[in-house]
Amino acid sequence: MIPILFGVSLGAFAFLHAIPGDPARLLAGPDATLEDVRAVQSRLGLDRPLFVQYAYFVRNALGGDFGRSYRSGAPVRQVLGEHFGPTLELSMASIGLAVVTGMGIGTLQAVRRNSVPDYLSTVFSVAGISTPAFFLGLLLIYVFSVDVHWFPTGGMSGLHSLVLPAVTLAAASAAVIARFTRSSLLEVVGEDFIRTARAKGVAARRVLMRHSLRNALIPVVTLVGLEFGFLLGGAIVVETVFSWPGLGWLLIQSIGFRDYPVLTAEILLFSLQFLTINLVVDVLYAALDPRVVYA
Amino acid sequence: MGTRVRNGLTRRQLLRLTGAGVAGATLFGGGAPWVRKASAQGTRTLTIGLAADAVSLDPFNTNDNLSLTVERCVYDGLVGFTPDYKLRPELATSWEASKDAKTFTFHLRPNVKFHDGTPLNAAAVKLNFDRARDPANKLTRLSLVVMISSVDVVNDTTVRFTLKDPFGAMLYNFAHPAARIISPAAIAKGEDYIARNMVGSGPFRFVSWTPGQQIVLERNPDFWQSGQPEADRLIIRPVVEDASRVAMLLSGDANFIYPIPGVQVDAVSKASGVTVQKRWSIYANWVSMNCQHAPFQDVRVRQAMNYAIDKNAIVNVVERGYARPLDAPDTPGVAGYSPVQSGGWPYDVTKAKELLSEAGFAKGFETTLWSGNQTDQLRLGEAMQQMLAKVGVTLRLDPMEAGTLSAIRFKPFADNQSQMNLAGWSPSTGDADWALRPLLASQSWPPALFNIAFYKNPQVDAAFAAALATADQAKRDRIYADVSKVIWNDAPWIFLHNGQNLAGVRNGTSGVWIMADNTCDFREAALRAA
Repeated sequence: MIPILFGVSLGAFAFLHAIPGDPARLLAGPDATLEDVRAVQSRLGLDRPLFVQYAYFVRNALGGDFGRSYRSGAPVRQVLGEHFGPTLELSMASIGLAVVTGMGIGTLQAVRRNSVPDYLSTVFSVAGISTPAFFLGLLLIYVFSVDVHWFPTGGMSGLHSLVLPAVTLAAASAAVIARFTRSSLLEVVGEDFIRTARAKGVAARRVLMRHSLRNALIPVVTLVGLEFGFLLGGAIVVETVFSWPGLGWLLIQSIGFRDYPVLTAEILLFSLQFLTINLVVDVLYAALDPRVVYA
Repeated sequence: MGTRVRNGLTRRQLLRLTGAGVAGATLFGGGAPWVRKASAQGTRTLTIGLAADAVSLDPFNTNDNLSLTVERCVYDGLVGFTPDYKLRPELATSWEASKDAKTFTFHLRPNVKFHDGTPLNAAAVKLNFDRARDPANKLTRLSLVVMISSVDVVNDTTVRFTLKDPFGAMLYNFAHPAARIISPAAIAKGEDYIARNMVGSGPFRFVSWTPGQQIVLERNPDFWQSGQPEADRLIIRPVVEDASRVAMLLSGDANFIYPIPGVQVDAVSKASGVTVQKRWSIYANWVSMNCQHAPFQDVRVRQAMNYAIDKNAIVNVVERGYARPLDAPDTPGVAGYSPVQSGGWPYDVTKAKELLSEAGFAKGFETTLWSGNQTDQLRLGEAMQQMLAKVGVTLRLDPMEAGTLSAIRFKPFADNQSQMNLAGWSPSTGDADWALRPLLASQSWPPALFNIAFYKNPQVDAAFAAALATADQAKRDRIYADVSKVIWNDAPWIFLHNGQNLAGVRNGTSGVWIMADNTCDFREAALRAA
């Protein structure tokens, strides 16, 4: 993991500095004189050669210090910490909702294949995947917040402010999970050992829960892991629409100002999250599938 | 299958129904209390939705409008601006400027205390300005005070500033929202503390800042202006997405939102319980032309471009009527402004073609317009493309993201590829010096300042210097009136329009204002029964 993270940090650093745009100039404002801009550059350490800046970055990062945000001057660790909680909360609520809904719908579709509920659910899934999160989010706000006042229009203020953003995010994930669960389950249901169990006289429900689903879970678990990884990367659009102060929201704010320390740290965090999730998924495989053995 | 319980329901079905019922009751049963109407949170709390989060709460170190807005609620300066951008006394009750514009003396309001109990006196003022003008502190707004050579405590309530060179506009620098006075005890706690906490002398006290979520302020009962403020609490929330901010106002979650995007003004004006606040900004929109390269080197070409653009059409169609054509290089509301051509530069396609012909461009030419990528800028670009096509000028649009645009605009002359640039400017000090000099003096060529037209006229440079050399406002006004005419006829820009800032206000809310420089003033916020 460490070599990968190193590579990511180097790549992110190089890439960010290559993008046009001077953070000092952006911070100082169009109002600023050249002296103002130079003062900001010197304060941020931007007047040093690139490789020196990178060397300082790595040395400090290894000690856990990711520098200070160019924009606010606050330590990057503190900034990321403040925004990680909201993203985690939103991601967990969304993935929970998506898994329950998606797997429920997908199972229903597989069990009652080619029936009316199946077709209706397919329509639902396609709608969920193709509706842009931006549109869905605003639609939900205008219907459930402005028109009937059931939920707040945005911000993070307790459980009821979590509902609309979580539903918006869950929609697309649930749709994908449903499709996957359906096809994976259908595949498993066609296997010989399922037919054997039914022939033995095992009740349909028990076959479904104990045998089919468990085996169908493997590809679904990978998918859920991937989805969770994406969500942890901060659902930028949903966080912006709902003013949910998570990592995605932070990312957009920081890019506009070329806040290199925050951006680099966020990219590293996202990479770490993905790598960790991959690890967890691999371990889950072993738990789920007795055929999988790690050397 | 399954045990029948009652009414033909299986146990499983009954369980499901009960679960759904409980969930439904929990989620929707308490509909009304879950609406975060401002009044439900305690007496006279105003919720405000703005377009961004604060960056830092240290006034001399901030540049963005949002931070300045928040700081203005908690801090005072020696002087400040009314919502109409006129100078007003704050911590200073009176002042004198020397004839040579080098010495400024302020008499402080007696018996004022900071929110932490520290008394306000000349020493506190000196501490603040010495901190700001010390280059070692590298504060962002150093340029506002760098011309001060010394700050002297004459007595407890009198402080004198001596400048290195005459600077007639200095009073406006003191009124700038960044020039605020912080409690010396807070300054002693260090840079990190004042970046995140505010201890001032203003109408509201700082309670908390949860980044990305909200800033909470509460009423200062010991404020030096009796009767103010009326509101008990202010909650300022950053809502980046325009449509969400409007939804916040319409649903009752907010008492005041700024800005309302042009496309949604009509919807807000028609909604019940809310009104649209329109206030003229001092922001001038223009398109600069590179005066040092062909084809814009020739003043006739530049004047032709002005004749070719129908400013009224832009005002009515692109800006939906919430603007007026520029009639000078700066705008009404700026101290020193005077109109040059009433109604703006006339629209005359024939005259435009004539001038282009005279200059040798009868067949027209091709050029590129750099701009940002917001919707209204794109629409403006397209409108100009159509209008210029009528006189044979082919305009290529090149919209860019803000950081990239800034990087290429500020390149030094030798590397700068600007042809036409859609931009604008508003002087944060409200004074004609800062409205014109950073844009039109030859010393302001990038990367020094924002003269992206690369305009150079020694007569204009001399006028700017003369206007700074005196503190006599009448004299300065005359100089600016004359130099505005020169600039207008030289036409380094296509003079476009000056717009209105639009905010949404819930009925019953008062004392919340958009300022001409795009910040807001909530110092007199009040909530009355609608």
